[in-house]
Amino acid sequence: MSAVPDPIVLENFSVHLKDRLLFNIERFQPKGGTSTVITGTTGSGKSVLLRALAGLLSGPFAVHGSMRLHNEAAYADGRKSDLTTWRRILHTGITFVPAETAQAMNPALSLEQNLRLICPDARPLVERRLKEFFSLDFARFAKQYPDEVSGGELQRITLMILLSRTAELVYLDEPTVNLDRQLRKRFIDFLNKEILGGQGKTVLMASHDLDFVRALQLDTILRLEGQKLLTVDKLPENAARVKEDDQGEGAEGLVLTDVSQHYKYRGLFGDRPSWAYKHLNVSFRRSHIYGITGPSGCGKTSMVRGILRLVDGTSGTITLGDQDLVALKTRERGKDPVAFLPFRRRLAIVQQDSRFSFFPDLKIRESLTQIDKAWGGTEFYQEAKVTALMDKIQLRRGLLDNLPRALSSGEMKRMDIVRALAAEPDVILLDEPFAHIDFETRALVMQAISDYLKAKAAILIVVTHEDFDLQYFVQTEYDFLSRVRNEFPVAP
Amino acid sequence: MKKLFDVLGWVAIAVLLSPFVIAWLPLGGVSTGLPAPWWHSLLLSFRQLSITLTATVVVAGVITLGLGYLSILQPVVGKVTAGVLDAVESVPAILVALFCYAPVAVALASHAGAYSTNLSLAVFIFAATLTSLPEAVRGLALPLGELYHRKYSVSMRSYGFPKGRILRVLLNSKAMRDVIRRTAAGILLKTLVLDTSFSFIIQVGMGANGTPAHTSPGGLIAAWRMVLLDSSSGPPELFWVPVGLLVMVSLAFLLVLGNDKEAAV
Repeated sequence: MSAVPDPIVLENFSVHLKDRLLFNIERFQPKGGTSTVITGTTGSGKSVLLRALAGLLSGPFAVHGSMRLHNEAAYADGRKSDLTTWRRILHTGITFVPAETAQAMNPALSLEQNLRLICPDARPLVERRLKEFFSLDFARFAKQYPDEVSGGELQRITLMILLSRTAELVYLDEPTVNLDRQLRKRFIDFLNKEILGGQGKTVLMASHDLDFVRALQLDTILRLEGQKLLTVDKLPENAARVKEDDQGEGAEGLVLTDVSQHYKYRGLFGDRPSWAYKHLNVSFRRSHIYGITGPSGCGKTSMVRGILRLVDGTSGTITLGDQDLVALKTRERGKDPVAFLPFRRRLAIVQQDSRFSFFPDLKIRESLTQIDKAWGGTEFYQEAKVTALMDKIQLRRGLLDNLPRALSSGEMKRMDIVRALAAEPDVILLDEPFAHIDFETRALVMQAISDYLKAKAAILIVVTHEDFDLQYFVQTEYDFLSRVRNEFPVAP
Repeated sequence: MKKLFDVLGWVAIAVLLSPFVIAWLPLGGVSTGLPAPWWHSLLLSFRQLSITLTATVVVAGVITLGLGYLSILQPVVGKVTAGVLDAVESVPAILVALFCYAPVAVALASHAGAYSTNLSLAVFIFAATLTSLPEAVRGLALPLGELYHRKYSVSMRSYGFPKGRILRVLLNSKAMRDVIRRTAAGILLKTLVLDTSFSFIIQVGMGANGTPAHTSPGGLIAAWRMVLLDSSSGPPELFWVPVGLLVMVSLAFLLVLGNDKEAAV
């Protein structure tokens, strides 16, 4: 096999976010055809580096230094080259797989059309890979649009479409975020067999998931730390955390009895129901950390939204204290009934995707004060309370005066957790809460949540796919599918 | 550099829209070498066009904002609105304009002067609003619905913000302001095309100067089209100058429409 020329050369390449230096790389020149992973704490700039290498860096970033891709000057003296140069670079081949993978799909095109646009002539390859590694039959989804398939299915299809392009340079940004445990194992198998190790592709990956990195056949491991790119000989051990011992004998908290959830789909002869899950029975005691696991699309997030009473089509009873939340609020009409308002303030959520947890054009501080106003000026936002929580999980206080888009995904996720804890809720619902947070910071966040739980005797439910969370945080694990009876019909 | 390009872009748009400003300047004594009646008609037609476009974008814009907001706030309103607007969209715009003029044809014929001009203008604004609404409402409601349902609803609703308030904040976000700007450009472009084509057809078919009591550059182009075939009727500039000016202003709207800023969220 002929030697592959070095496709990436960075020299004195630095990126500033406004006044803050994110990183300054003296020289980075991975060998062609090799695989490199960049690890580092949340907010260290891993994703920014990948986006810069993909030519996708925009917004409040300032670039200095030079970058050569495929022997073309992509950046010279901090200036991005013109469109013609970038066209030549992209024509030689770059594939960028973003952390929120589904973003790569055009929502106005069917999956089949997206495939033709992203990697023409690769349909047989995509079909084989989806079937072999993800047990998905692409033909079944080909005519559907991205919003017509579940998030998990869309992520798997998008991953395979993007990774089936003929590009020589492949960038992967936190590729395992949102993949459940089983899928993660299969994805590792796929990467090792078909992308890494002598396949001729130069792979650059950003990941904080050390377990994932350990399982891959990688040539080089780097760490972005102290604004420098450092070579790592050996991966550090996971930041172990001692899980508090609790047998789940606290007071009874939230009880879900025979809960079923359906959504309505528009059919040829009117709306018809599509069931997310049926006959769910589960209870959660106070001061105990419950983990909900299960494959993508099994209904975990629907359960969380049902508890929050933000979806229609819930039947059964969800009891908090001595009140049935379903009876208090049967339908979501964009406003809560007066009887439900006290319960609204007792519930808080940290969503899978925290990028949309704060108003887009308001500074974080202003978004927090808006909650005060929505609650009738009850001083939810107290500077001291919020900043103490931020200090605890190593979030810079200055972020309060930033717009949401200036925060990294990990910072945004932690800010969302701060917001949830500052509201002092009775029930905390965490839906994949640590997906964008590195293991070291994650241990701090887990400790902050545990401290809150102990102090307030709250109810905590964590939906998670990650072994790390189950090993170091969750005290009782519920397999969602073992708690539902989807085979039995729901009485009208 | 990007800022400089942005500024240059807006300067280019301002230059391209300058005919609307120039039309209102007192240019009585300016000698152009072209017939004075033609020159007067050109200024008059661009004055009327600027009034038509301004009034239509204000009326259609307000209705679009209201319907777009209500469509997401109340899904029932959204379904009914979509049904009605789909029906309107299935009829060609020029036919909609003709249907709108039909009930007032007698009133237009039996009155002269300001009454007729104002009535004609009102009818045309109504027709232009009607024809531009389907695309405009869809163009606004889809991204607003996307922002609400797929991005912000769960998080914001879980903290007690009512849907109406979340939608108002989102409507005022940078991403939606870009959408509103492009929607306005779309309304202007569609109204310009309707005004020009409608008055062109009326002029060719009826021989009057422009639409009923409503002067337009389209009518002027139709009236002077013969100069292209018969040089004794006048210089070809009489045809090409209004064409060029219309191309300029259309290009300005297209530039605003195509200025698809990266979503701010």
